[in-house]
Amino acid sequence: MKIGIMSFAHLHAEAYIGNLRAIPGVEMIGIADEQLKRGKQFSKQFDARLYSSYEELLLEADAVLVCSENSRHRPLVEMAAAAGVHVLCEKPLATTAEDAEAMLAACKAAGVVLMTAFPMRFSAPLQQLKSELDSGSFGKPYCVSSVNQGRIPVDYRSWFVDPELAGGGALIDHVVHLADVMRWYFECEVTSVYAQANNLMYPDGVANDSRGIEIVYADEVAVETVGLVMLTFENGVFATIDCSWSKPLNYHTWGGLSFEMITEKGLITADAFSQNLSVHTEKPMGHNLAFWGSDANQAMIEEFVDSIRMNREPAVTALDGKIGLDITLAAYESVRTGMPVQL
Amino acid sequence: MSKQLRIGIIGSGAMGQTHVKAWQNTSAKICGIVSKSEETAVPLAKSCGAKVFDSLDQLLPVIDVVDICVPTHLHCEITLIAAAAGVHVVCEKPLARNVSQAVEMIQACESAGVKLLAAHVVRFFPEYAQAKAKVVAGEIGLPAIIRLKRGASQPEKSSDNWFVDLEKSGGVILDLMIHDFDFARWIAGEVKTVYAKNIGTEHPGTSVDHALAILTHENGVLSHIEGSWAYPAPLFRTQLEIAGSNGLIQHNSDKTASIGSFFYQREQADVDVPLPASPMHEDPYATQIKAFYAHLTEDAPIPISARDGLAALKIALAALKSAQTGAPVDIQEMEVVS
Repeated sequence: MKIGIMSFAHLHAEAYIGNLRAIPGVEMIGIADEQLKRGKQFSKQFDARLYSSYEELLLEADAVLVCSENSRHRPLVEMAAAAGVHVLCEKPLATTAEDAEAMLAACKAAGVVLMTAFPMRFSAPLQQLKSELDSGSFGKPYCVSSVNQGRIPVDYRSWFVDPELAGGGALIDHVVHLADVMRWYFECEVTSVYAQANNLMYPDGVANDSRGIEIVYADEVAVETVGLVMLTFENGVFATIDCSWSKPLNYHTWGGLSFEMITEKGLITADAFSQNLSVHTEKPMGHNLAFWGSDANQAMIEEFVDSIRMNREPAVTALDGKIGLDITLAAYESVRTGMPVQL
Repeated sequence: MSKQLRIGIIGSGAMGQTHVKAWQNTSAKICGIVSKSEETAVPLAKSCGAKVFDSLDQLLPVIDVVDICVPTHLHCEITLIAAAAGVHVVCEKPLARNVSQAVEMIQACESAGVKLLAAHVVRFFPEYAQAKAKVVAGEIGLPAIIRLKRGASQPEKSSDNWFVDLEKSGGVILDLMIHDFDFARWIAGEVKTVYAKNIGTEHPGTSVDHALAILTHENGVLSHIEGSWAYPAPLFRTQLEIAGSNGLIQHNSDKTASIGSFFYQREQADVDVPLPASPMHEDPYATQIKAFYAHLTEDAPIPISARDGLAALKIALAALKSAQTGAPVDIQEMEVVS
């Protein structure tokens, strides 16, 4: 199976390229990027063929990973669907409900797989917790307090703080992961969304060019950097999500995803990224974490490949991606109105 | 020390016992104890050389300060009687069960010229006091988001467990989370809106409670407050995280526990009301009472006023209201209603 990557706008592409190369029977044929400089950089870094255009890549590919900016998922997904090529699309699926619907329709009409990249469905600790929940050993779930914080991602890509390209800030970047995990866990839908957000984290902007990263100043952080969301589910579970970019730029890791759940049996704690070695060196930012847990991205991309091979729906669908987006858009509406939004 | 104050303790339960120990770190003299439980009052009085009094009226003439350690709904009545007798008041948190009671208490103490000291002990816990000092010193820039968590097993009492009576205690939101509502306000200033949910309301019929609240401060700072009476005993966990424009402060009691014990068999917890504890040369309750004593005798500054206690009460009552109505509550709504 020949798979390529469309756009390296999203940093996850850097991990996916290795994931693809690790799958037997999959040929990572190369990458294409409308930004020639970015395409050349990653083509060189990963020793991957750089196609001159998306069209050229799609002529040879059976499947693609779409890793463009959030608001640019739709044109690439539609292009792939028109070429009869299966798609794994980076999260969030889109930045508007219309875009998400159009993407679903295009892939359905073309008969190609459209999978949303929700790697937490493939996190070994979260999968184990899911099976224990399903076994009934935790009893009835009551509430969840969850955290998916991070550093502001400008040191990877400045478009993350561009409201046009990203569709927002911390809310659209992080809410979908935990919202999707809880939909998966509870097998029911969100009924109401309340959210608050602010832009207080980086009043002086972000200037960290010592590591060669792009500099973003205060007036360029036009999106929310802090957000709190409260979801209510059909089964009565209420859950908060902290999606804030609240970790300092020199924090010892990118952030994390963890939660605590109260059930009728007691307290359950979960952390998708606690399987780390703590490494301390004499360097200036001398403390870092070396993750030794199972690679959720690898399992996610293997599922994408397997769903194509077996001609079946992937474990995480485009509809899951669209519902995650709907929840996020409801959060933005709640921020604007100050009121809970019913779904 | 200018003079020795005479103290009367009302209530001989967990907090009465804790406060008696705390007063023994000052030069105060504990003169008497009034309690509806003779069973706990007698040994407590004996432990500090005090006398058990049958009633508040008998106790008040022989003391300078009354320390109220009884259920929340009784705070107001005792405070009013003490103020009328010209006796200073130390009052366990929450200051009262509703706003009108708290306002009446503050007014009564002001007009009687006695002090009303709200025992929000978390402000005296070293990890919280240091976090506040670091924020004030500007070490993390301006706060943007605060996360506070406080959880324990549900309080138990051999009889009359007023903690689980919402009318008396206000449940986990008023009794426990008020600590962190106060702390969030101490860090980020006045609160504008409160949105909260709790197990008791969302899952009627459950025996445990746990609540999540989102506070929006007037300056835009957000606070996430989590309170639990749903943990298995013995467990008391606290967490603190303040993220600012220039840094991050974190505390997690899971990680700061300095002693661990892992026994083949765990004995039943022998306390009714679990309290957070870390081995210290001076426990935070003693720190608090010493500060109160210095304030009473020398007018030394203290980091908490009765009005702070009232403000925290309003946030907690707004959270209770939000949990009951399902709507966000503007703190202004708490001005007049109970």
